[in-house]
Amino acid sequence: MRSLSHRARFLALGTAAVLASALVAACGSSSSGSSSSSSKPILIGASLSLTGDFSADGQAFKRGYELWASDVNAHGGLLGRKVQLDILNDNSSPTQVDTNYTDLITVKHVDLTFGPFSSLLTAPSAEVAHRYGYAFIEGAGGSPLVFSEKLPNVFDVALPVANELDPFVNWIKSLPAGQRPATAAYPMANDPFATPQVQRVQSFLQPLGISTVYSKIFPEEVPDYLPNADLVAAKKPQAVILGSTDVPTVASFMHGFEQQHFNPKVFIAAAGPDQGQSFLSAVGTANASGMMVPNAWYPGYANPTSQAMVAEYVAKYGGTASGVNADVAEAYSVGEVTAQAVKATGGTVGSKIIAYLHSGVTLSSVEGPVQFNSLGENIKAIAFIFQWQNGKFVQVLPVGAPGSVKILYPKPNWAS
Amino acid sequence: MTRPTVIRAAGAGVLVLAAALFPLVFTNPTVTNFGVVTLIFVVVTSAWNIFSGYSGYLSLGHAVFYGTGAYFLVVAAKDWNLSGATIFWLVPLAGLAAAVIAVPVGLVALRVRRHTFVVITIAFFFIAQLSASNLSVTGGSSGLLVPVPNWAPATYNNPFYYLALIIAVATVALSWQVRRSRFGLQLRAIRDDEDRAAGLGVRAMPVKLTALVLSAFITGMAGALWVYFIGEAFPQFVFDPLFDLAVVLMAFFGGLGTLAGPVLGALILEPAQLWLNLQQSNGYESEILFGALFLVVILFLPRGVLPTAAEYARAWNAWWLRRKSGSPRVVAEADSAGTSVRGSVS
Amino acid sequence: MANEIAQAIAAGILGGGIYALMAAGLTLIFGVLDIINVAQGILVVLGAYLSYVLSVHLHIDLLVGLLITVPAMFVIGVAIYWLFIRPLRGAERTSMTLLACFAVALIIEGVLYREFGSNYVSLTAWYTTSSVHIFGFYLPDIYLIGFGLAVLAITALYLILYRTTFGRAVRATMQNQTAARLIGIDVNRVSAVTFGIGTAVTAIGGMVYGAISGGFTPNSGYDLISRLLAIVILAGMGSIGGALVAAVFMTTAEALVDIWQPEWSVAVFYLAMVIILTVRPAGLFGRRAARAQ
Repeated sequence: MRSLSHRARFLALGTAAVLASALVAACGSSSSGSSSSSSKPILIGASLSLTGDFSADGQAFKRGYELWASDVNAHGGLLGRKVQLDILNDNSSPTQVDTNYTDLITVKHVDLTFGPFSSLLTAPSAEVAHRYGYAFIEGAGGSPLVFSEKLPNVFDVALPVANELDPFVNWIKSLPAGQRPATAAYPMANDPFATPQVQRVQSFLQPLGISTVYSKIFPEEVPDYLPNADLVAAKKPQAVILGSTDVPTVASFMHGFEQQHFNPKVFIAAAGPDQGQSFLSAVGTANASGMMVPNAWYPGYANPTSQAMVAEYVAKYGGTASGVNADVAEAYSVGEVTAQAVKATGGTVGSKIIAYLHSGVTLSSVEGPVQFNSLGENIKAIAFIFQWQNGKFVQVLPVGAPGSVKILYPKPNWAS
Repeated sequence: MTRPTVIRAAGAGVLVLAAALFPLVFTNPTVTNFGVVTLIFVVVTSAWNIFSGYSGYLSLGHAVFYGTGAYFLVVAAKDWNLSGATIFWLVPLAGLAAAVIAVPVGLVALRVRRHTFVVITIAFFFIAQLSASNLSVTGGSSGLLVPVPNWAPATYNNPFYYLALIIAVATVALSWQVRRSRFGLQLRAIRDDEDRAAGLGVRAMPVKLTALVLSAFITGMAGALWVYFIGEAFPQFVFDPLFDLAVVLMAFFGGLGTLAGPVLGALILEPAQLWLNLQQSNGYESEILFGALFLVVILFLPRGVLPTAAEYARAWNAWWLRRKSGSPRVVAEADSAGTSVRGSVS
Repeated sequence: MANEIAQAIAAGILGGGIYALMAAGLTLIFGVLDIINVAQGILVVLGAYLSYVLSVHLHIDLLVGLLITVPAMFVIGVAIYWLFIRPLRGAERTSMTLLACFAVALIIEGVLYREFGSNYVSLTAWYTTSSVHIFGFYLPDIYLIGFGLAVLAITALYLILYRTTFGRAVRATMQNQTAARLIGIDVNRVSAVTFGIGTAVTAIGGMVYGAISGGFTPNSGYDLISRLLAIVILAGMGSIGGALVAAVFMTTAEALVDIWQPEWSVAVFYLAMVIILTVRPAGLFGRRAARAQ
């Protein structure tokens, strides 16, 4: 009796182990050999966060990659071959993202890799790509952490995070002393994408004589920020530079300010107002007026390829032009840069692409010019500051840059 | 040794041998990647079981120990300027760090029971996660990177795999040893009825605390190994609430409080989850599927796969014996711990 | 400084009320059925989404919409209990129900993702950004409404438990299930209805949460559940009024810490709970439950 139950136990255990390894080996053996037939599609692999913390951006990225792929194929493909995307879900998890890229490279034998969303996932997966000699072109890994790895295969087409607010600083500097805000508050979410640029602004504005009345880091993912908003409002700063990473944080602060009947002359947030319709629904179109946000791209950007892309996006996914998320453009640019590198090197060999992209060549994308330094940062990335004006998302800074309109300053009072 | 023990030992030996040969047979890095992650889950689930399974105190905060081990390795590797294979020596040290943390945590948490204990472990989890986000030594919310070794891609995963395998075997051996020992008996007495056990002379707090410290030591090592494998430490990834839940699910699925149950649970569920995520590009489908699977397990296999399978095997065997002998129903049963035999005639 | 402290306390009290409202269902279910419903976080989000659908697609005001969402969530709660929790038996019941609730939460989250995607949505009405001027402070209308609803809900629960026949049956079940069965109470039915009531109250919590949060997605449940659990355990098993006190205590502590070191405010939230439990393991208002079955 006893031996039987033990036997059963081990039978179960052994079966499970065999099943597990068979399962895993089954996907292992489903490899597609990569021959060099020119009619074979170019397989591009990417891992995106379709669920989990980064899902909103991950989904936008997916649409951007897919839009690029369908565009390329509509124009005859790349080097005469069709482009085929293989996008896996990493659920915003670094363990999964490593597994995904290993799978894409070693099992699916993709020809090229596109980056995931977020520096947090880019840092480990870039290592995986590096190990196999793949170029890693990405549009969402711009935090100092990624570049600290000093990997030769990383290429970030987007603007480095810390420099996002430079045009804002320059504008404040350009104002006559009497018109500048006298006081400023710097609330920041505890996130590597919310602190570096805000702290940089503080370091520039303080020497100008703009006194800091509030500068603190608050925790992320708190259901509401009323206490923090109250504290900032109580100090009545003329400028608020908010280190936020999503719409709820900005909306929560805005609601708090409205409830306290506090209206700053200048209100710029690191992220949130760039989320188009999502942002407008959360705060109301009238209240959005005057809110500023940095970005390297926006739907109205006066670039022909960008305009074409926006039109196609709307045709394919609906919505309005002004609702197109900047993530889409970043993803699209990744595709464009990859395509240019592939065409220039005549193939998909990783080492050649890496060498080409590091050669100092300037490429073009829907987000403007792209040129990489030795770390893989895009040193020609343009930084704009955008502002909502009466339901329209317009470029306001740098002052005088093509496409910039007059900035709305001071910010209009809350509508209620 | 008795015959069942010989069979078990032989079976275990075959399994370990198969696991050792695994990366040499299936050389594809994706497969060995699955292997490393699965083995890490085997380690953590068994370690969790040593504490929660045997004592009955459900801990949802084991990520605290996992994270302590992970951050210890990263910070030590940076501070002491280590790289390559030497970093593996930090793994047991990381386990020690986690074990040290377990003492104050245990002294506070083990004073309460059941639901309160569960929630206190959750609170400790968040305190740990938030501390990691705020303290500069852990890199704050910007995280820390681990120096990644320069090994050949084809066999990159193998050192991690083998180290994980060694730790896994040691953990299961430890679990087995705990089960057979007086210490294990005391733990199980606490699980069944703590007050009664105390009345019979079992000193509950030292026993529980020892189990927690052992469990934390192993979990810390697993965390350190994992963080070196991944290459980066961020508070929200190192301290991940879903990780704890996955471990609990695996232990339950396999059979809580058994020896092989957690191993089985991890071996089945972790590759399944990784594989599912690779197949689905719509994440929500895998979530719904997982939840449904969970429910099925809970409703129909409430004691876990292993004990239920053993029950079925016993019942089948009894039925078979009855048929063979054609005699009136004589049912003799032994429960899975083999400590009592009930018989009934009907 | 004194002004800031007073403001923080005011925000803390009001915020605590809202958390208590979200936790009321959890406390009820915990106290009566001895079940930690870890799906509570996602149920709050579900309530928020239901209000969202009514508000955005049918243009029904948020408060009026409660007349629909509350009964709807009652039905959902009864269904969850009947299908997934009632069949669980045995010595491992505590852990089993925990896992079953988690499984239900996963499924609900997956369904919400499918229906609504991962974009942030929020609930808006004329009272979500306005405030009243009292004693030199601006107190947000929606918080006052939320606090009021919390008090109403808690009072209603008390009335149900202590002034109705059904409530007596519930309390009998709470004390001793076998004895309750012996005197003819249909324990299953009582439990199912209690679970339903707990979920129905959560619909209200969901609406208020959606209105104050600035934006939510199906993923928002995780941040909520841990806070709600902490509140319920700190209050002590089954103490519904205690949940209000515990919630206010924790959110006020958090708001006060926000004045000086906001990065630690959430850690303080949990630390406060741990410290109190070290001194009073049964929670602030917990009865030392020697509970049969």
